[in-house]
Amino acid sequence: MKKLIVFFLACLNFACDTEINPTLNPAAEVMVVDAWLNDKNETQKIFLTISQPYFDQSSPEMVEGASVSVKDLSSGETITFVETDAYYGWEPGDEAFLVVGHQYQLLLEVDGKAYTANAGLGEVPEVDSVQFTYNPKDINFKEPYFTAEFMANDIPGRGDAYWIKAWKNGVYLSKPSEINIAYDAGFSSTQTMDGVLFNQIIRKDFVNPWDENPEKENSFLPPYVVGDSLYLEIHSIDPMAFEFLSGVILQTNRPGGFSELFATPLSNVISNIYPVSEESSTKVQGFFNVSAVTSGGGKLTAAIAETAMNAADD
Amino acid sequence: MKSFVLGGLFFLSLLPGFAQSNSFTISGYLTDETNGEVLIGSTVRVEQINSGTVSNVYGFYSITLEEGVYDLHFSFVGYREIQKKVKLDKDLRLDISLMLSDTELETVVIQSDRMDENVSSVEMSTAKMDIKTIEKMPAFVGEVDVLKSIQLLPGVSSVGEGTSGFNVRGGTVGQNLVLLDEAPVYQSSHLFGFFSVFNPDAVKDVKLYKGGIPTRFGGRLSSVLDIRMKEGNNQDYDVAGGIGTVFSRLSLEGPIKKGKSSFILAGRRSYADVLARPFTDALDNGAGMYFYDLTAKTNFELNEKNKLFVSGYLGRDVFNFDESQGFNWGNKTATIRWNHLYGSKLFSNFSAFYSDYNYGFSFGTNESDKFDWQAAISTWNFKPEFTWFANPSHELTFGGELIAYRFRPADATIINNGELSNISLDHRKAVEGALYVSSEQKFGDKVVAQYGLRFSYFNHFGEKTYTYGDTLPGIERPLIGVTENGSWNSVAQYNNLEPRISVKYSLNESSSLKASYNRMSQYLHQISNTTASLPIDIWQPSDNNILPQTGNQGALGFFKNFFGNRFETSAEVYYKWNQNQMDYIDGAELFINEFMASQLLSGKGRAYGLELYAKKNQGRFTGWISYTLGKTELKVDGINYGDNESTREGNWYPTRYDQRHNLKLAGFYELNKRVTLSANFSYLSGTPTTFPTDRIIVQDKVIPYIDGSDRNNYRIPNFHRLDIALTIDNVWRGKKQRKGTDNLVVSVYNLYGRKNPFSIYFSQGTSTRPQMGEPLATSAHQMSLIGTLIPSVTYNFKF
Repeated sequence: MKKLIVFFLACLNFACDTEINPTLNPAAEVMVVDAWLNDKNETQKIFLTISQPYFDQSSPEMVEGASVSVKDLSSGETITFVETDAYYGWEPGDEAFLVVGHQYQLLLEVDGKAYTANAGLGEVPEVDSVQFTYNPKDINFKEPYFTAEFMANDIPGRGDAYWIKAWKNGVYLSKPSEINIAYDAGFSSTQTMDGVLFNQIIRKDFVNPWDENPEKENSFLPPYVVGDSLYLEIHSIDPMAFEFLSGVILQTNRPGGFSELFATPLSNVISNIYPVSEESSTKVQGFFNVSAVTSGGGKLTAAIAETAMNAADD
Repeated sequence: MKSFVLGGLFFLSLLPGFAQSNSFTISGYLTDETNGEVLIGSTVRVEQINSGTVSNVYGFYSITLEEGVYDLHFSFVGYREIQKKVKLDKDLRLDISLMLSDTELETVVIQSDRMDENVSSVEMSTAKMDIKTIEKMPAFVGEVDVLKSIQLLPGVSSVGEGTSGFNVRGGTVGQNLVLLDEAPVYQSSHLFGFFSVFNPDAVKDVKLYKGGIPTRFGGRLSSVLDIRMKEGNNQDYDVAGGIGTVFSRLSLEGPIKKGKSSFILAGRRSYADVLARPFTDALDNGAGMYFYDLTAKTNFELNEKNKLFVSGYLGRDVFNFDESQGFNWGNKTATIRWNHLYGSKLFSNFSAFYSDYNYGFSFGTNESDKFDWQAAISTWNFKPEFTWFANPSHELTFGGELIAYRFRPADATIINNGELSNISLDHRKAVEGALYVSSEQKFGDKVVAQYGLRFSYFNHFGEKTYTYGDTLPGIERPLIGVTENGSWNSVAQYNNLEPRISVKYSLNESSSLKASYNRMSQYLHQISNTTASLPIDIWQPSDNNILPQTGNQGALGFFKNFFGNRFETSAEVYYKWNQNQMDYIDGAELFINEFMASQLLSGKGRAYGLELYAKKNQGRFTGWISYTLGKTELKVDGINYGDNESTREGNWYPTRYDQRHNLKLAGFYELNKRVTLSANFSYLSGTPTTFPTDRIIVQDKVIPYIDGSDRNNYRIPNFHRLDIALTIDNVWRGKKQRKGTDNLVVSVYNLYGRKNPFSIYFSQGTSTRPQMGEPLATSAHQMSLIGTLIPSVTYNFKF
């Protein structure tokens, strides 16, 4: 799909984009909860911030003095997050807190108001391998190029959701267009592909960065050259988090140009954070999720490159 | 049941009284002498009674008078009037051929009706566009276009240049019924909307009904665009064509049996891909972007009482990234019509037609990893219609329509590492029926009324019935159950009574007041959540969850002509109120979703406006000015609810295509006999869009946030554009001994190169890769689909 849109962009050169500076309605300055925990042995961080005017490019202000805890609803155990100058943190010990299949509840208390959110920890598959392919030149890449692809199978049983994060040479692929999410082995809860190898678009399209070639218009730098590496993590996510990220893609992945014909109206993404008492009118946004994580990677060595080129010749 | 009885009573009340015994009928067809094309809407005036009739869409007229001697005047704009003195003592058949008048040949004919048609006819809220006018207008890349031309008329707009479809009086694109020789065309665009699918070489007449819609039409809320194809020259062979920047056109027409039957065959194909191939290797891997259409029609005059027409259309757009990936869509239509005369007063037409719109896309670079989606909507229709010309002051039309639909929302497969998953959705079937009657009656000299009733019925058959529970509006509704049915089980059925009435009151010879009311219902819904309507939008039939859309419109108009009809003016106001208008929950997943109905929202709509129109019909300078002041809004629970957080009751919000001011100017100036300069100018208020208030950061993504979930709270800047064209006739042909005519059209679209905005969007600064730890940039961008002036040259010929 992405390729098609880029293709249209190239075909319809009538279109043009201009950056503008419109005046917006005043910001609502709502509390934003960014609570994405995982089972990696590293500091778990929960960010509580205040939303900013849309064009404010400074770092957001932190909500201080909150009490933050997460409860395992299955075991009854609770962990408490400690306030630092940038986030609320918790250091995992030797024993894992997050257990696959358990439900977790986030509890927040800010200025006497309580908020809560729920998420479940899903199972995550292992990354089997990372492979590289040699491709002939085409409309977008003016020279032959290498692409990467990972192999992994969806966990059998419907309703698993994943977020696949990728790093090329240690740089996180963090553009909105690089958000790679899967519902079972496919793209949505309504199109069933269960328990099989992830769809090729998930395996391939998002782990190959499309960076514009600064020296040649309408062309892109090759995604991988000899010496480059790919590292990736599969995070299991709550099915609601899949819906949230789908919304984030819709609202943030705006390449402009001809693809604007396909754009949907700007709207708010969903949030799973709710005030505990009904009458609380404080607006709150953000998301709470728990993830189990697996990882894998590979490096395009000269030997692998040669094998790939030979395979392409056959 | 009650509606049946009511309908029956109404039908009976329309029957006119029987004419006196000593009256006789004059009837026949009006045609163009040079090519045998029938003349739609030409006038027959009887001097003695200072009244008359107008030929119908098949060129047929009938008028019943008492025994006596009469002077008849047959006329049509741009043609020489013919006068006949007749002694009427028996029924008379009088087929008349009119000749083009030389003086009119060079002028632009704006409206192909008798000169005071706009004042004298009972019709209001209609707009006609003669193909000769369309051909003279400046056009995008020089390709004259039926759909772009009608957007220069009051009450018609679009969400942006180069987008698919058009909006009429605040309606959606999917609320227009577009008919090509009576067959519905579901997608009227080539290249996502830059061109329309109608080949101007094969089009004879274009008429848009914006209000006061006759009972013979139904099934859409907003408008009917009735496009009639040429029959083909039944006197002589003609070859016509054109070489343009994007398309090449060729058409052939001629007699099969001179004077009795004829054919026309017209084709177009874009050829950018053909021209580019030698210069680029980018197309070597099967990539390509092209579109074509083919239009054919033939007709046979079997005898005086019977005529048969067969017509068809085939068009396709193909956008391939390589040989196995890309988009495609196309329409196919076929129509058979039979005109039969019962005596001289009862005219009948039986139409049977088939229309198919299929579309899809595929991606995946190899056989073991592929995605393929195809969708289609097919329609079979039978439509008998009778017109009884009772007497000069009363005409009765009645008929019916039976439509069978088949919907294929998704025939889709995913091949994943060689394993095939079928993710297709069930096909659906539906039947739509209608019975209608309409009476046009003169009451004295001043009042003419056209009134009638349409009864429509819809039955949706499906293998499954889905039931959803209630939730807070704007949130996906939970699935309660799925009932498996037999394949011909009715999922839901609906019926509606649709009264229609138009009244004209003549103030004097040159001015009249008109009023109309119509009620419409729509059982098919175009599902579109994107800024512009797209060729890959699916059509969803009404079911137990999606109720039929219904709409009402009232309009009032004042029509006045000046200086012997040289200037025509009109002013109309309209108010529309609609029910069951569709919108979507935030983040709705509409593509291949079995449970799509859970994501649809339903609400009320209203639209109102003022339309002003003035045009000059004659002289070296002709043209018109059109202005619309309009407003169109929706109120849907779950959208734009502001502070109503607990109930989510929606507040009114402007639709995406709401435009406050819409000004259009079109002018044609005849520099000399051979050269015409034409220009058109458009000024449109910016369409609404949604701007965020805040940015929120979650997982290193900057997400826009809109306080109060406002919808369409801002407007993009106003749109204006000037296009010009120079038409030079007889450049090569038509000179000396060469047969035929030709012309060269040099045009410039968007003369002053304005970057008219299509949309404004907000994004993270994505041109460079964001660095971890640094604050993320946010920006707003204005996107213009066409950001430059576009010159073009087209050469047209006919011999």
